[in-house]
Amino acid sequence: MRWNAFDTPVHDSQRVYRQLLSAMAEPGTFAEVGGAPLPPSGAAIGTACWATLLTLCDLDTRVWLAPELDAAGINEALAFHTGARQAERPDEADFALVTPATLAGQGEAEPPAFQEGSDTYPDRSTTLVVMLDRLDTAGPWALSGPGIPGQRRLGVGQGGEALMTRLAANRARFPRGLDAILTCGTRLAAVPRSTRITRSASEEVDTCMSP
Amino acid sequence: MTASECSASGYNFAYLDEQTKRMIRRGLLKAVAIPGYQVPFGGREMPMPYGWGTGGMQLTASVLGQDDVLKVIDQGADDTTNAVSIRAFFERVAGVTTTTATGEADVIQTRHRVPEQPLRQGQLLIFQVPIPEPLRFIEPSEEETRLMHALEEYGVMHVKLYEDIARHGHIATTYAYPVKVDGRYVTDPSPIPKFDNPKLHMNEALMLFGAGREKRLYAIPPYTRVESLDFEDHPFEVQQWDAPCAICGARDTFLDEVITDDRGGRMFVCSDTDYCQSRTEEVA
Repeated sequence: MRWNAFDTPVHDSQRVYRQLLSAMAEPGTFAEVGGAPLPPSGAAIGTACWATLLTLCDLDTRVWLAPELDAAGINEALAFHTGARQAERPDEADFALVTPATLAGQGEAEPPAFQEGSDTYPDRSTTLVVMLDRLDTAGPWALSGPGIPGQRRLGVGQGGEALMTRLAANRARFPRGLDAILTCGTRLAAVPRSTRITRSASEEVDTCMSP
Repeated sequence: MTASECSASGYNFAYLDEQTKRMIRRGLLKAVAIPGYQVPFGGREMPMPYGWGTGGMQLTASVLGQDDVLKVIDQGADDTTNAVSIRAFFERVAGVTTTTATGEADVIQTRHRVPEQPLRQGQLLIFQVPIPEPLRFIEPSEEETRLMHALEEYGVMHVKLYEDIARHGHIATTYAYPVKVDGRYVTDPSPIPKFDNPKLHMNEALMLFGAGREKRLYAIPPYTRVESLDFEDHPFEVQQWDAPCAICGARDTFLDEVITDDRGGRMFVCSDTDYCQSRTEEVA
Protein backbone atom coordinates (compact mmCIF):
# COMPACT_ATOMS: atom_id res chain seq x y z
CA MET A 1 0.00 0.00 0.00
CA ARG A 2 1.59 3.23 -1.07
CA TRP A 3 0.25 6.49 0.36
CA ASN A 4 1.67 9.46 -1.48
CA ALA A 5 2.19 12.95 -0.08
CA PHE A 6 2.00 16.26 -1.95
CA ASP A 7 4.46 16.79 -4.80
CA THR A 8 5.35 20.28 -3.59
CA PRO A 9 4.29 20.27 0.07
CA VAL A 10 4.68 24.01 0.69
CA HIS A 11 2.52 25.20 -2.19
CA ASP A 12 0.10 22.28 -2.39
CA SER A 13 -0.78 22.47 1.29
CA GLN A 14 -1.18 26.25 1.02
CA ARG A 15 -3.64 25.81 -1.84
CA VAL A 16 -5.66 23.17 -0.03
CA TYR A 17 -5.61 25.28 3.13
CA ARG A 18 -7.11 28.25 1.33
CA GLN A 19 -9.86 25.98 0.03
CA LEU A 20 -10.48 24.79 3.59
CA LEU A 21 -10.49 28.36 4.90
CA SER A 22 -13.00 29.47 2.25
CA ALA A 23 -15.15 26.42 2.93
CA MET A 24 -15.17 27.17 6.66
CA ALA A 25 -15.82 30.89 6.08
CA GLU A 26 -18.66 30.17 3.65
CA PRO A 27 -20.45 27.05 4.86
CA GLY A 28 -22.26 25.13 2.15
CA THR A 29 -19.90 26.13 -0.67
CA PHE A 30 -17.83 23.44 -2.37
CA ALA A 31 -14.22 23.21 -3.47
CA GLU A 32 -12.64 20.59 -5.71
CA VAL A 33 -9.21 19.60 -4.47
CA GLY A 34 -6.90 19.33 -7.48
CA GLY A 35 -3.35 18.08 -7.74
CA ALA A 36 -3.58 16.12 -4.51
CA PRO A 37 -2.43 12.49 -4.21
CA LEU A 38 -4.96 9.71 -4.53
CA PRO A 39 -5.09 7.33 -1.53
CA PRO A 40 -4.22 3.72 -2.47
CA SER A 41 -6.93 1.30 -3.56
CA GLY A 42 -8.40 -0.34 -0.51
CA ALA A 43 -8.28 2.90 1.48
CA ALA A 44 -11.54 4.00 3.03
CA ILE A 45 -10.92 7.72 2.55
CA GLY A 46 -10.89 9.92 -0.53
CA THR A 47 -8.53 12.46 -2.04
CA ALA A 48 -10.03 15.54 -0.34
CA CYS A 49 -9.92 13.82 3.05
CA TRP A 50 -6.29 12.75 2.64
CA ALA A 51 -5.30 16.23 1.39
CA THR A 52 -6.99 17.79 4.43
CA LEU A 53 -4.99 15.58 6.78
CA LEU A 54 -1.72 16.27 4.98
CA THR A 55 -2.46 20.00 5.18
CA LEU A 56 -3.51 20.34 8.81
CA CYS A 57 -1.83 17.54 10.75
CA ASP A 58 1.64 17.51 12.25
CA LEU A 59 3.35 16.35 15.40
CA ASP A 60 1.26 18.77 17.49
CA THR A 61 -2.02 17.14 16.55
CA ARG A 62 -3.76 13.99 17.69
CA VAL A 63 -5.98 12.15 15.28
CA TRP A 64 -8.77 9.75 16.15
CA LEU A 65 -9.78 7.29 13.48
CA ALA A 66 -13.19 5.64 13.31
CA PRO A 67 -12.73 1.84 13.19
CA GLU A 68 -14.54 1.55 9.85
CA LEU A 69 -12.03 3.90 8.18
CA ASP A 70 -8.98 2.01 9.43
CA ALA A 71 -7.87 0.38 6.19
CA ALA A 72 -4.81 0.08 3.95
CA GLY A 73 -2.46 1.18 6.73
CA ILE A 74 -3.74 4.74 7.02
CA ASN A 75 -2.46 5.12 10.59
CA GLU A 76 1.09 4.31 9.59
CA ALA A 77 0.84 6.52 6.52
CA LEU A 78 -0.41 9.45 8.57
CA ALA A 79 2.34 9.02 11.16
CA PHE A 80 4.95 8.72 8.41
CA HIS A 81 3.89 11.74 6.37
CA THR A 82 2.73 14.17 9.08
CA GLY A 83 4.08 12.91 12.41
CA ALA A 84 0.57 13.14 13.89
CA ARG A 85 -0.13 11.00 16.94
CA GLN A 86 -3.07 8.69 17.35
CA ALA A 87 -5.63 9.78 19.93
CA GLU A 88 -6.49 6.98 22.37
CA ARG A 89 -9.90 8.42 23.14
CA PRO A 90 -12.21 10.51 20.94
CA ASP A 91 -12.27 13.39 23.44
CA GLU A 92 -8.48 13.74 23.14
CA ALA A 93 -8.58 14.23 19.40
CA ASP A 94 -7.81 17.45 17.55
CA PHE A 95 -9.07 15.82 14.38
CA ALA A 96 -11.42 12.88 14.13
CA LEU A 97 -11.92 10.92 10.95
CA VAL A 98 -15.51 9.73 10.90
CA THR A 99 -18.44 8.68 8.76
CA PRO A 100 -22.07 9.53 9.48
CA ALA A 101 -22.42 5.96 10.81
CA THR A 102 -19.76 6.68 13.45
CA LEU A 103 -21.87 9.50 14.81
CA ALA A 104 -25.01 7.37 14.81
CA GLY A 105 -23.31 4.86 17.11
CA GLN A 106 -23.08 1.24 16.07
CA GLY A 107 -25.43 -1.30 17.60
CA GLU A 108 -25.66 -0.92 21.36
CA ALA A 109 -22.62 1.34 21.60
CA GLU A 110 -22.99 5.03 22.36
CA PRO A 111 -21.65 7.37 19.66
CA PRO A 112 -18.14 8.60 20.50
CA ALA A 113 -17.95 11.77 22.61
CA PHE A 114 -15.59 14.28 21.01
CA GLN A 115 -14.05 17.32 22.63
CA GLU A 116 -16.26 20.41 22.45
CA GLY A 117 -13.91 22.79 24.23
CA SER A 118 -14.91 24.87 27.23
CA ASP A 119 -16.81 28.14 27.52
CA THR A 120 -13.53 29.94 28.17
CA TYR A 121 -11.54 28.04 25.52
CA PRO A 122 -14.05 26.90 22.89
CA ASP A 123 -11.25 26.58 20.33
CA ARG A 124 -9.83 23.53 22.12
CA SER A 125 -12.27 21.24 20.40
CA THR A 126 -12.26 18.37 17.93
CA THR A 127 -12.61 19.09 14.23
CA LEU A 128 -14.48 16.30 12.47
CA VAL A 129 -13.24 15.24 9.06
CA VAL A 130 -16.21 13.40 7.62
CA MET A 131 -16.16 10.85 4.77
CA LEU A 132 -19.41 11.01 2.80
CA ASP A 133 -20.76 9.03 -0.14
CA ARG A 134 -22.50 12.13 -1.45
CA LEU A 135 -21.94 15.86 -1.02
CA ASP A 136 -24.12 18.30 -2.94
CA THR A 137 -26.86 20.89 -2.72
CA ALA A 138 -29.65 18.34 -3.15
CA GLY A 139 -30.54 17.73 0.43
CA PRO A 140 -33.11 18.55 3.03
CA TRP A 141 -30.65 20.63 5.07
CA ALA A 142 -30.83 24.41 5.00
CA LEU A 143 -27.83 26.30 6.34
CA SER A 144 -27.83 29.90 7.54
CA GLY A 145 -25.69 32.11 9.74
CA PRO A 146 -22.20 33.65 9.37
CA GLY A 147 -20.73 33.22 5.89
CA ILE A 148 -24.10 32.59 4.28
CA PRO A 149 -26.08 35.30 2.48
CA GLY A 150 -29.62 34.12 3.10
CA GLN A 151 -29.59 30.35 2.96
CA ARG A 152 -27.66 27.46 1.38
CA ARG A 153 -28.76 23.89 0.77
CA LEU A 154 -26.73 20.83 1.65
CA GLY A 155 -27.10 17.13 0.87
CA VAL A 156 -24.82 14.70 2.65
CA GLY A 157 -26.10 11.33 1.45
CA GLN A 158 -26.66 8.18 3.40
CA GLY A 159 -26.86 8.42 7.15
CA GLY A 160 -26.77 12.20 6.91
CA GLU A 161 -29.45 12.42 9.56
CA ALA A 162 -27.05 11.43 12.37
CA LEU A 163 -24.34 13.80 11.14
CA MET A 164 -26.55 16.82 10.66
CA THR A 165 -28.47 16.24 13.90
CA ARG A 166 -25.17 16.18 15.75
CA LEU A 167 -24.00 19.38 14.04
CA ALA A 168 -27.36 21.09 14.58
CA ALA A 169 -26.97 20.40 18.31
CA ASN A 170 -23.92 22.71 18.29
CA ARG A 171 -26.19 25.73 18.32
CA ALA A 172 -27.54 25.08 21.81
CA ARG A 173 -24.04 24.79 23.27
CA PHE A 174 -22.37 27.65 21.44
CA PRO A 175 -19.55 28.69 21.75
CA ARG A 176 -18.68 25.07 22.56
CA GLY A 177 -19.15 22.65 19.69
CA LEU A 178 -17.72 20.56 16.88
CA ASP A 179 -16.66 21.93 13.52
CA ALA A 180 -16.91 19.62 10.54
CA ILE A 181 -14.98 19.38 7.30
CA LEU A 182 -17.07 17.34 4.88
CA THR A 183 -15.39 15.37 2.12
CA CYS A 184 -16.56 13.23 -0.79
CA GLY A 185 -14.02 12.12 -3.38
CA THR A 186 -12.17 15.28 -4.40
CA ARG A 187 -14.89 17.60 -3.11
CA LEU A 188 -14.88 19.35 0.23
CA ALA A 189 -17.16 21.65 2.21
CA ALA A 190 -17.42 22.66 5.85
CA VAL A 191 -20.02 23.25 8.53
CA PRO A 192 -18.62 25.25 11.47
CA ARG A 193 -20.40 25.39 14.82
CA SER A 194 -21.70 28.90 14.04
CA THR A 195 -24.02 27.53 11.32
CA ARG A 196 -27.75 27.20 11.98
CA ILE A 197 -29.11 24.00 10.48
CA THR A 198 -32.76 23.34 9.71
CA ARG A 199 -34.52 20.61 7.80
CA SER A 200 -36.71 21.31 4.78
CA ALA A 201 -37.82 19.72 1.50
CA SER A 202 -35.08 19.15 -1.13
CA GLU A 203 -34.91 20.80 -4.57
CA GLU A 204 -31.60 21.57 -6.33
CA VAL A 205 -29.27 18.93 -7.75
CA ASP A 206 -25.50 19.26 -8.19
CA THR A 207 -24.31 15.83 -7.28
CA CYS A 208 -20.94 14.36 -6.43
CA MET A 209 -21.09 10.59 -6.11
CA SER A 210 -17.98 8.86 -4.88
CA PRO A 211 -17.03 5.78 -6.94
CA MET B 1 14.25 25.14 -3.17
CA THR B 2 14.79 26.85 -6.51
CA ALA B 3 15.31 30.55 -6.95
CA SER B 4 11.96 30.90 -8.69
CA GLU B 5 10.14 29.54 -5.67
CA CYS B 6 11.60 32.08 -3.33
CA SER B 7 13.49 35.19 -4.30
CA ALA B 8 15.38 35.44 -0.97
CA SER B 9 17.17 32.11 -0.72
CA GLY B 10 17.64 30.54 2.67
CA TYR B 11 14.08 31.20 3.75
CA ASN B 12 11.00 29.07 3.42
CA PHE B 13 8.31 30.50 1.14
CA ALA B 14 6.75 33.52 2.93
CA TYR B 15 9.38 33.48 5.71
CA LEU B 16 7.60 31.32 8.33
CA ASP B 17 8.40 27.61 8.65
CA GLU B 18 5.69 25.13 7.71
CA GLN B 19 5.09 23.96 11.29
CA THR B 20 4.31 27.53 12.41
CA LYS B 21 2.08 28.10 9.40
CA ARG B 22 0.08 24.96 10.21
CA MET B 23 -0.36 26.06 13.83
CA ILE B 24 -1.66 29.46 12.70
CA ARG B 25 -3.80 27.86 9.97
CA ARG B 26 -5.50 25.55 12.47
CA GLY B 27 -6.06 28.52 14.75
CA LEU B 28 -7.62 30.51 11.92
CA LEU B 29 -10.09 27.71 11.13
CA LYS B 30 -11.25 27.79 14.77
CA ALA B 31 -11.38 31.59 14.70
CA VAL B 32 -13.64 31.49 11.64
CA ALA B 33 -15.85 28.84 13.25
CA ILE B 34 -16.32 30.99 16.38
CA PRO B 35 -16.71 34.50 14.92
CA GLY B 36 -15.18 37.20 17.13
CA TYR B 37 -13.59 34.81 19.63
CA GLN B 38 -9.87 35.38 20.27
CA VAL B 39 -7.82 32.24 19.65
CA PRO B 40 -4.42 32.12 21.39
CA PHE B 41 -1.54 31.18 19.11
CA GLY B 42 2.20 30.71 19.44
CA GLY B 43 3.32 34.05 18.05
CA ARG B 44 6.78 34.02 16.48
CA GLU B 45 9.45 36.67 16.37
CA MET B 46 9.32 38.52 13.09
CA PRO B 47 12.19 40.59 11.73
CA MET B 48 10.68 43.82 13.02
CA PRO B 49 9.46 45.12 16.39
CA TYR B 50 6.09 44.48 17.98
CA GLY B 51 3.68 47.23 17.13
CA TRP B 52 4.68 47.31 13.49
CA GLY B 53 2.23 44.65 12.40
CA THR B 54 3.86 41.36 13.36
CA GLY B 55 0.47 39.75 14.02
CA GLY B 56 -0.93 40.70 10.65
CA MET B 57 2.29 39.60 8.96
CA GLN B 58 2.21 36.15 10.54
CA LEU B 59 -1.35 35.67 9.34
CA THR B 60 -0.47 36.91 5.86
CA ALA B 61 2.57 34.61 5.73
CA SER B 62 0.40 31.64 6.73
CA VAL B 63 -2.31 32.11 4.13
CA LEU B 64 -0.37 33.65 1.23
CA GLY B 65 0.14 31.62 -1.94
CA GLN B 66 2.55 32.15 -4.83
CA ASP B 67 -0.27 33.19 -7.19
CA ASP B 68 -1.80 35.72 -4.80
CA VAL B 69 -1.65 39.45 -5.43
CA LEU B 70 -0.88 41.34 -2.23
CA LYS B 71 -1.80 44.86 -1.18
CA VAL B 72 -0.59 46.46 2.05
CA ILE B 73 -2.03 49.65 3.51
CA ASP B 74 -1.18 51.74 6.54
CA GLN B 75 -3.92 54.15 7.65
CA GLY B 76 -5.40 53.77 4.17
CA ALA B 77 -2.18 54.71 2.37
CA ASP B 78 -0.07 52.43 0.16
CA ASP B 79 2.97 54.69 0.33
CA THR B 80 3.74 55.07 4.04
CA THR B 81 6.73 53.42 5.75
CA ASN B 82 4.90 50.51 7.31
CA ALA B 83 3.05 49.61 4.12
CA VAL B 84 6.12 49.95 1.89
CA SER B 85 8.28 47.83 4.23
CA ILE B 86 5.79 45.00 4.63
CA ARG B 87 5.08 44.94 0.90
CA ALA B 88 8.81 44.78 0.13
CA PHE B 89 9.22 42.04 2.74
CA PHE B 90 6.70 39.74 1.06
CA GLU B 91 8.06 40.56 -2.39
CA ARG B 92 11.42 39.31 -1.17
CA VAL B 93 10.48 36.27 0.91
CA ALA B 94 7.48 35.06 -1.11
CA GLY B 95 8.11 36.53 -4.54
CA VAL B 96 4.44 37.47 -4.85
CA THR B 97 3.02 40.15 -7.09
CA THR B 98 1.94 43.27 -5.25
CA THR B 99 -0.50 45.99 -6.15
CA THR B 100 -1.97 49.18 -4.76
CA ALA B 101 -5.35 48.65 -6.45
CA THR B 102 -7.94 47.35 -3.98
CA GLY B 103 -9.92 45.55 -6.68
CA GLU B 104 -6.92 43.62 -8.01
CA ALA B 105 -5.70 42.30 -4.65
CA ASP B 106 -6.43 38.79 -3.35
CA VAL B 107 -4.95 39.46 0.06
CA ILE B 108 -4.95 42.89 1.69
CA GLN B 109 -3.02 43.48 4.89
CA THR B 110 -4.20 46.61 6.61
CA ARG B 111 -3.26 48.81 9.50
CA HIS B 112 -6.26 50.70 10.88
CA ARG B 113 -8.48 51.14 7.81
CA VAL B 114 -10.99 49.25 5.70
CA PRO B 115 -10.63 50.26 2.02
CA GLU B 116 -13.33 52.60 0.68
CA GLN B 117 -13.96 50.45 -2.38
CA PRO B 118 -16.31 47.58 -1.38
CA LEU B 119 -14.50 44.26 -1.13
CA ARG B 120 -15.63 41.21 -3.09
CA GLN B 121 -16.20 37.59 -2.23
CA GLY B 122 -12.95 35.63 -2.03
CA GLN B 123 -10.79 38.55 -0.95
CA LEU B 124 -8.98 38.36 2.38
CA LEU B 125 -8.60 41.41 4.59
CA ILE B 126 -5.96 40.95 7.29
CA PHE B 127 -5.88 43.47 10.15
CA GLN B 128 -2.90 44.35 12.32
CA VAL B 129 -4.15 44.51 15.91
CA PRO B 130 -2.33 46.15 18.84
CA ILE B 131 -4.71 45.19 21.67
CA PRO B 132 -7.21 42.47 20.73
CA GLU B 133 -9.19 42.52 23.98
CA PRO B 134 -11.94 45.17 23.96
CA LEU B 135 -12.45 44.71 27.71
CA ARG B 136 -8.77 45.17 28.59
CA PHE B 137 -9.00 48.83 29.62
CA ILE B 138 -11.83 47.97 31.97
CA GLU B 139 -10.48 44.68 33.32
CA PRO B 140 -6.71 44.12 33.29
CA SER B 141 -6.86 40.41 34.14
CA GLU B 142 -6.84 38.03 31.19
CA GLU B 143 -8.48 35.34 33.30
CA GLU B 144 -11.34 37.69 34.17
CA THR B 145 -11.91 38.96 30.62
CA ARG B 146 -11.92 35.39 29.33
CA LEU B 147 -14.61 34.54 31.89
CA MET B 148 -16.56 37.65 30.95
CA HIS B 149 -16.58 36.53 27.32
CA ALA B 150 -17.60 33.01 28.36
CA LEU B 151 -20.53 34.36 30.40
CA GLU B 152 -21.40 37.03 27.82
CA GLU B 153 -20.93 39.51 30.64
CA TYR B 154 -20.64 42.71 28.62
CA GLY B 155 -22.46 45.22 30.83
CA VAL B 156 -19.24 47.10 31.63
CA MET B 157 -18.71 47.90 27.97
CA HIS B 158 -21.99 49.79 27.94
CA VAL B 159 -21.01 51.49 31.21
CA LYS B 160 -17.87 52.75 29.50
CA LEU B 161 -19.88 54.15 26.59
CA TYR B 162 -22.34 55.67 29.07
CA GLU B 163 -19.51 57.42 30.91
CA ASP B 164 -18.63 59.02 27.56
CA ILE B 165 -22.15 60.36 27.27
CA ALA B 166 -22.20 61.57 30.89
CA ARG B 167 -18.93 63.43 30.38
CA HIS B 168 -19.16 64.66 26.79
CA GLY B 169 -22.85 64.46 25.94
CA HIS B 170 -22.16 61.93 23.19
CA ILE B 171 -20.19 58.72 22.69
CA ALA B 172 -16.66 60.08 22.32
CA THR B 173 -15.00 56.82 21.26
CA THR B 174 -13.86 57.43 17.69
CA TYR B 175 -11.66 54.45 16.87
CA ALA B 176 -11.41 50.81 18.02
CA TYR B 177 -15.14 51.17 18.61
CA PRO B 178 -16.40 47.87 20.08
CA VAL B 179 -18.64 45.66 17.96
CA LYS B 180 -20.74 42.57 18.62
CA VAL B 181 -20.15 39.80 16.09
CA ASP B 182 -23.09 37.57 15.11
CA GLY B 183 -24.89 38.59 18.30
CA ARG B 184 -22.38 36.88 20.58
CA TYR B 185 -18.78 38.06 21.06
CA VAL B 186 -17.89 41.66 21.77
CA THR B 187 -14.83 42.25 19.63
CA ASP B 188 -12.24 44.94 19.02
CA PRO B 189 -12.31 45.79 15.30
CA SER B 190 -8.66 47.01 15.72
CA PRO B 191 -8.07 50.79 15.76
CA ILE B 192 -10.04 51.49 12.59
CA PRO B 193 -12.00 54.75 12.75
CA LYS B 194 -15.61 54.09 13.71
CA PHE B 195 -16.36 55.44 10.22
CA ASP B 196 -15.31 51.97 8.99
CA ASN B 197 -17.43 49.96 11.45
CA PRO B 198 -20.50 49.78 9.18
CA LYS B 199 -18.30 48.24 6.46
CA LEU B 200 -17.66 45.21 8.67
CA HIS B 201 -21.36 44.33 8.68
CA MET B 202 -22.18 41.75 6.01
CA ASN B 203 -18.89 42.39 4.20
CA GLU B 204 -18.31 39.97 1.32
CA ALA B 205 -14.64 39.41 2.22
CA LEU B 206 -13.25 37.25 5.00
CA MET B 207 -11.66 39.42 7.67
CA LEU B 208 -8.81 38.07 9.79
CA PHE B 209 -7.24 39.82 12.77
CA GLY B 210 -3.76 39.16 14.15
CA ALA B 211 -2.17 40.54 17.32
CA GLY B 212 1.54 39.64 17.45
CA ARG B 213 2.52 40.89 20.90
CA GLU B 214 -0.66 39.59 22.54
CA LYS B 215 -0.55 36.39 20.47
CA ARG B 216 -4.23 36.34 19.62
CA LEU B 217 -6.03 35.90 16.32
CA TYR B 218 -9.71 36.20 15.47
CA ALA B 219 -11.98 36.45 12.48
CA ILE B 220 -15.17 37.88 11.09
CA PRO B 221 -16.49 35.63 8.28
CA PRO B 222 -18.14 37.17 5.22
CA TYR B 223 -21.88 37.90 5.41
CA THR B 224 -21.82 38.17 9.19
CA ARG B 225 -23.84 40.50 11.39
CA VAL B 226 -21.59 43.07 13.02
CA GLU B 227 -23.27 45.64 15.27
CA SER B 228 -21.54 48.61 16.87
CA LEU B 229 -22.58 48.89 20.52
CA ASP B 230 -24.83 51.85 21.28
CA PHE B 231 -27.95 53.01 23.12
CA GLU B 232 -31.51 53.53 21.89
CA ASP B 233 -31.34 57.24 22.69
CA HIS B 234 -27.71 57.56 21.59
CA PRO B 235 -27.51 55.50 18.39
CA PHE B 236 -24.16 54.73 16.77
CA GLU B 237 -23.00 57.48 14.41
CA VAL B 238 -19.98 57.88 12.16
CA GLN B 239 -17.76 60.91 11.68
CA GLN B 240 -18.75 63.59 9.18
CA TRP B 241 -16.81 66.38 7.57
CA ASP B 242 -17.88 69.86 6.48
CA ALA B 243 -15.79 69.90 3.32
CA PRO B 244 -15.15 67.27 0.61
CA CYS B 245 -11.70 65.77 -0.08
CA ALA B 246 -9.43 68.58 -1.32
CA ILE B 247 -7.96 66.34 -4.03
CA CYS B 248 -10.79 64.21 -5.45
CA GLY B 249 -13.85 65.93 -4.04
CA ALA B 250 -15.33 62.81 -2.45
CA ARG B 251 -17.91 63.45 0.26
CA ASP B 252 -18.40 59.87 1.42
CA THR B 253 -14.86 58.91 2.48
CA PHE B 254 -12.76 59.10 5.63
CA LEU B 255 -10.64 62.27 5.51
CA ASP B 256 -7.24 62.94 7.04
CA GLU B 257 -6.29 66.42 8.17
CA VAL B 258 -3.01 67.50 6.57
CA ILE B 259 -1.13 70.54 7.90
CA THR B 260 0.23 72.51 4.94
CA ASP B 261 2.22 75.34 6.57
CA ASP B 262 3.08 76.80 9.97
CA ARG B 263 0.38 79.49 9.87
CA GLY B 264 -2.54 77.19 10.53
CA GLY B 265 -3.10 76.22 6.92
CA ARG B 266 -4.57 72.76 6.46
CA MET B 267 -6.49 70.58 4.08
CA PHE B 268 -8.64 67.47 4.33
CA VAL B 269 -7.85 64.60 1.95
CA CYS B 270 -8.96 60.98 1.57
CA SER B 271 -7.06 58.62 3.83
CA ASP B 272 -7.49 55.83 1.23
CA THR B 273 -4.85 56.84 -1.34
CA ASP B 274 -5.85 54.24 -3.93
CA TYR B 275 -9.49 55.30 -3.86
CA CYS B 276 -8.57 58.99 -4.07
CA GLN B 277 -6.18 58.39 -6.97
CA SER B 278 -8.63 56.28 -8.97
CA ARG B 279 -11.28 58.99 -8.55
CA THR B 280 -8.86 61.69 -9.69
CA GLU B 281 -7.99 59.62 -12.77
CA GLU B 282 -11.68 59.12 -13.56
CA VAL B 283 -12.31 62.85 -13.51
CA ALA B 284 -9.21 63.65 -15.58
